[in-house]
Amino acid sequence: MLSIRNLSKTYGNGVRALSQVSLEVPAGMFGLLGPNGAGKSTLMRTIATLQEPDSGSVRFDGVDVLSDKQALRRVLGYLPQDFGVYPKVSAETLLDHFAVLKGLANARERRAVVEALLRRTNLWAVKDQKLGTFSGGMRQRFGIAQALIGEPKLVIVDEPTAGLDPEERNRFLNLLAEIGESVVIILSTHIVEDVTDLCPRMAILAGGELRVSGEPRQVIAELEGQIWQKTVTKAELARYEAEHEVLSRRLSAGRTVIHIWCEGDPGEGFEGVAPDLEDVYFHALRRAARDAGQALAA
Amino acid sequence: MSKNFREIFRFELYQTLRSPLFWGTGLFFATMTFGAVTSDSVTIGGGIGNVQRNAPFVILQLLSVMSIIGVFVTTAFVAGAALRDFERGTHELFFSKPMAKLDYLGGRFAGSLVASTGVMVLCALGILVGSFMPWLEAERIGPTLFGPYLFALGVLVIPNLLLTGALFFALASASRSWLVTYVGVVVFFAGFFVSTLMLADIENQTLGALLDPFGATAIDVATRYWTVAEKNSALPPLAGPLLWNRLIWSVVAVAILAICFATFRTSAGAPTYGALGRLFRRRKKVAQESAEREFEHRPQHDLPPFAPPRATRDFSSRRNRSLFVHALRRETVGVLKSIPFVIMVAFGMFNLIGGSVARFDRFGTKVYPVTALMLDNLEGSFLFLLVIIVTLYAGELVWRERALKMAEVTDALPVPSWVPLLSKVGALWLVILTFLGIGGLTAIGIQLSQGYTNVEPTLYAKGLAIAGVRFLLAAVLAVFFQVLCNQKFVGYLAMILFLISETVLASLNFDHSLHRFADSPPMTYSDMNGYGHFLQGFAWFNLYWACVALLLLVAAVLFWVRGSETVWRLRLREAKARFRGPWRALAAVGLLGWVGIGAWIFWNTNVLNEYVPTDEQERRQADYEKQYRKYKGMIAPRIVDAEANVEIFPEERRVEIAGRFVLKNKSNRPEDTILFQLDRRVKVRRLSLDPKWRAHFDERLGVSIYKLPAPLAPGATMDLSFELTAEEKGFVNQNSDTSLVGNGTFFNNQQYLPVLAYDEGRQLEDRNDRRKYGLPPPERMAKLEDVNARRDNYLSGDADWIGFRATVSTSADQIALAPGYLQREWRVGDRRYFRYEMDRPILNFYSFLSARWAVKKDVWHPDRENVAIEVYYDPAHAYNVDRMIDSAKKSLDYFTANFSPYQHRQVRILEFPRYANFAQSFPNTIPYSEGIGFIADLRDRQDVDYVFYVTAHEVAHQWWGHQVIGGAVQGGTMLSESLAQYSALMVMQKEYGKEQMRRFLKYELDEYLEGRGGELIEEVPLMRVENQPYIHYRKGSLVFYALQDAIGEPALNRALSRYVGEVAYQEPPYTYTPDLMKILREATPPGEQGLLTDLFETITLYDLRATTATWTRRPDGKYLVKLAVDAKKLRADGKGVESPLPLDDSIDIGVFGEAEAKDGGKKEEKVLYLAKHRLTQPSATFELVVDGKPTEAGIDPLNQRVDRTSDDNRTKVTAENS
Repeated sequence: MLSIRNLSKTYGNGVRALSQVSLEVPAGMFGLLGPNGAGKSTLMRTIATLQEPDSGSVRFDGVDVLSDKQALRRVLGYLPQDFGVYPKVSAETLLDHFAVLKGLANARERRAVVEALLRRTNLWAVKDQKLGTFSGGMRQRFGIAQALIGEPKLVIVDEPTAGLDPEERNRFLNLLAEIGESVVIILSTHIVEDVTDLCPRMAILAGGELRVSGEPRQVIAELEGQIWQKTVTKAELARYEAEHEVLSRRLSAGRTVIHIWCEGDPGEGFEGVAPDLEDVYFHALRRAARDAGQALAA
Repeated sequence: MSKNFREIFRFELYQTLRSPLFWGTGLFFATMTFGAVTSDSVTIGGGIGNVQRNAPFVILQLLSVMSIIGVFVTTAFVAGAALRDFERGTHELFFSKPMAKLDYLGGRFAGSLVASTGVMVLCALGILVGSFMPWLEAERIGPTLFGPYLFALGVLVIPNLLLTGALFFALASASRSWLVTYVGVVVFFAGFFVSTLMLADIENQTLGALLDPFGATAIDVATRYWTVAEKNSALPPLAGPLLWNRLIWSVVAVAILAICFATFRTSAGAPTYGALGRLFRRRKKVAQESAEREFEHRPQHDLPPFAPPRATRDFSSRRNRSLFVHALRRETVGVLKSIPFVIMVAFGMFNLIGGSVARFDRFGTKVYPVTALMLDNLEGSFLFLLVIIVTLYAGELVWRERALKMAEVTDALPVPSWVPLLSKVGALWLVILTFLGIGGLTAIGIQLSQGYTNVEPTLYAKGLAIAGVRFLLAAVLAVFFQVLCNQKFVGYLAMILFLISETVLASLNFDHSLHRFADSPPMTYSDMNGYGHFLQGFAWFNLYWACVALLLLVAAVLFWVRGSETVWRLRLREAKARFRGPWRALAAVGLLGWVGIGAWIFWNTNVLNEYVPTDEQERRQADYEKQYRKYKGMIAPRIVDAEANVEIFPEERRVEIAGRFVLKNKSNRPEDTILFQLDRRVKVRRLSLDPKWRAHFDERLGVSIYKLPAPLAPGATMDLSFELTAEEKGFVNQNSDTSLVGNGTFFNNQQYLPVLAYDEGRQLEDRNDRRKYGLPPPERMAKLEDVNARRDNYLSGDADWIGFRATVSTSADQIALAPGYLQREWRVGDRRYFRYEMDRPILNFYSFLSARWAVKKDVWHPDRENVAIEVYYDPAHAYNVDRMIDSAKKSLDYFTANFSPYQHRQVRILEFPRYANFAQSFPNTIPYSEGIGFIADLRDRQDVDYVFYVTAHEVAHQWWGHQVIGGAVQGGTMLSESLAQYSALMVMQKEYGKEQMRRFLKYELDEYLEGRGGELIEEVPLMRVENQPYIHYRKGSLVFYALQDAIGEPALNRALSRYVGEVAYQEPPYTYTPDLMKILREATPPGEQGLLTDLFETITLYDLRATTATWTRRPDGKYLVKLAVDAKKLRADGKGVESPLPLDDSIDIGVFGEAEAKDGGKKEEKVLYLAKHRLTQPSATFELVVDGKPTEAGIDPLNQRVDRTSDDNRTKVTAENS
């Protein structure tokens, strides 16, 4: 449904935010994983018609998004990263305002939609409360409510779970999961579990380039037999980092458990483990960093 | 001083000194002071005038003004210091350190204050460096003194910065908002200006000096009467009101700081508004928590897929329009409910009420709050806030979503880009209209509260609409700047630069309204003539600017930023994509309208009419003097008779004049040259002078010189007849003619009829302008000793006494008037004709008027002289007509009894529109502006009745001016204006008593002393006055009043009567002041001869002071008053340099008792003792016995001497030993 071709964007200060990104996103939940500064938000904003790429194209349902922005906006539900609200306006009032702007001209229907969304996001009890008093989780729920007005065909949520406590995060992801299956939902995040829990399809963006894309199961399978684990002391850590491609280290009872990537058995007491999405993610980031280093050296 | 304080201070100062804001504004300000010192095209708080460019007074003024303007910048420093940590979120880093709150606040405040002082030091350097610039004339640069700089910085600048710094640091700390802080700055300033205005009256000057937080008024009061010499060398003493002012406000500053430091909150966020706020917030918190709990209790895993109710969606263009209305309402309500707007409305209303209630006209007397004046008041004290509102809210509205980080949500909504933009512009417009409406209603409320019930809602609507258009246009510009610059503060800066450029462009002579955005020619509303012909030009210019605004609006729609793209290349690409359909059409309309209407305006202002920029006007004046001054004093054939047929067409603003002058060669040799001058705009249809005789024609200056083929023999006469048309076509850019108007036409012979002599009035007067055009220093008037100059009187150089007859016609509904007696009135078609003839020779000075008047007639002494008194007035202005008639009668009583018979059989007073504010006496005819007497509010009998006084003054001119006329030499205006002042004073004194005289003369003294300080060339003694109003009116009143006090009113009147008898209707050479002086000397006792020298022949000042006064009760019940006084006498030269003079004067010594009510309810103080004493020593004591209990005593208690500190002449009398 959403088809991204060769999207590139370089900012005025020379930062290359997107580099030849091509991506096909079908209906359903799509996880876009990447560290801070990977270009996720640039990609999200470009799809949401808020930014112009230097080159490339974005098509949704046969519509050229870059030349007919208004057409996309009619089917778009967008929850930006770190968005604000009018602090002195109530949740219901602002949601109604957005509904008007989204083309819901009939007041009765609009009231029904607003009520349904507020109930769904569990904000009905606080509908008359000023938005300035909302907690972070409530505000994110309000954000998804406004994004879902008008039955969007494309829902973009940019880093929605950053800063939420685990419970709020769960609530939020549940809300996302309940959106119909015929809708394209792009969830951009730097938290691997978000994708693991929810997304049948995913991609990893690093340094403005697309490193991995596919179904989580399939990309994990590609690393089968290449992830090794060992518990090491603090003193040894530096040596292992120099000799191996360390993907992650985790503290466990005062000692450090490291995961490395290696095509064959590295010996030295490493034992093979089944890869998970986190390994895939760190592997991709490692590769990206190495490529960038080479590019710099060349 | 703790280490922490020093570190915070150092860091703050270092940060500010590194900022571009500091250096940018500092250098900009320094350039301003530099420019003010080194050139005349930059003026700060009034020009430098005649003083040396680096005079202490100039340094003081410049730095004082800069410390006031500078508040806008220094607030950025102090508020920045107060807010930065909270904005950047670094406050918790600071407040978690082991540091006292006082160190933090003190350090921040002190650091930013020192940096602010740095800006002012740069200003001082600008002056210092400027004074060394090589292009300045050496005589205008004084010695380099550092004292004035230190005084200005120490006494004015630093205390001012401390006060404003403390105030806005505190406000910023309390509100945590830039917006509120800057609104506070604006309100503070507006309050400052209003209180300055309200306290400007001299009765309140000490209070005003104390209350002005900047100390500028205190400086003004201390230097109010300074002459050039003092301004060049002295500093005001740090004493009296100035000292108290500085102390009071420094204490206030420290108190503000103390409160601020004590109540400072270390948490971020907006103020919490105390207990009320806490209560309110707690309730909400409860609601929020309950919502959370409800959520907990619900199972989370078995929710069905979300299926919202179905809703139809509408994206039609009709729907877009209703979206626009929806957005417009939200945006408008948002602004109207915002605190800064409400503050500004409240402040504006307060300001308007203050400005209107305190509206004094002259001599402390109020005027009726007629709608025209209320509209002026709205303009001056209310509407200026719209500049701020427009600038501020353009930024707020354009940036609202982005400031709240909501833009990414709203920008991605399926709304056309023009909806948010136009709804914001529309909201600004509705806000402006609301503001105007509130202003109008407030003004009506003020009128009603003052008992004025003639409410004119339609006039308000018209006036406010006219005043408001430019703000509507400015709103578009401000939004355009915000959109285009795409940075809020750059947008603000662009708007501020635009506002400054409007003023700068005008001073650089780019004063055509075609290239000054939203500008249109100034217009004056007159009750008589409405907006009249001004409306046409106004409409076209505003249509023109509306087209420009339309283009700006289209550009703003195209460049409206949606999303986060700020790169110009991409914005341009997007703009091109948006530029289609209706936007193309609108741009085309705007462009066509702009060019088309611009061309139409240009046709009107520059082709149909002549556009003369200020510099060209000056050049013409200079060229006129250079080329034709040689004809001054030429004894050309003189006009001895004038007859005119004047046809006024008020609706067409046209006048057709057919006239005939009889010229006579009054010299003793044949004359063949005629200097013939006409206003450039007057077209000659026929002239009896043959074009072949024309030896010289200067179209640019309107001067022709004819050489008669056969010279006119001595004593022979010739006819000069002419047919002229003066017509106002279309509309002009500036100085719209106000002589030929729909209702209230008024012009005199020198405007539209030929003038046959060199006109000194056309010369450049300003010394510096003259130098610029290579002219010698000005000679305002020929010296007293110049005998030849007295061959002309000072009113006209081409005639002495003339016969006069005129037929004047006008539209059927108007009356047309000219001097003379009405012989016949008739109608032909829709024209009304009047024939006026004068029965005796008059000066060559007559006027023609036409208007729709009401007429009130009366007769003075029907039994004897039978003089008709007629007032022609606008039907809405009947208030004071009876006062005028009464005054005219009483004036005639006094003048005929004391001076000479009245030469005419009628006195006519004619109201004319308030395009000018004067009354002027023509032979038996007195045009009188609607602005000065007709709307004076004389209901309070305590007020000075200046309508009575002005009328008496003008009637007196029938003697002093129209019977006695001085030659064109120094002192000429003493013989008309000063004597008219004296005559009016005597009539007024007879009517109102001495008490009102004293109040009146206090104003006269004040204006005289202030006038001296503003003298551009040099002050001269009264008998040599060179048409200087502050001398011939103000000093003239004081001098003649003092003289009649010394020698007695009857003696002075006898002398004047003798003078009239000797010189009335004199042929050349005309009389001059020595003629009058001779008679006055004869009328003055030998012992008082010195007084005449002091009053008329020199500039003499006194410093009189009552030092102590005590009373004791005597056994016989009377009171013994002991009074000690100081007395000094000084003589000043033309520049104001004073030298002491031995004292030998008779001066009033007086003792006064409790005020008591006299007949008519007027309270008057009781004079217990008042007599002249001879004083020869610098101090003296008096023991006086009085009957009643004394309250006040003093020397010259009625302020008849010229004394620069007139307030200390009296002192309270206290009981001895108590």
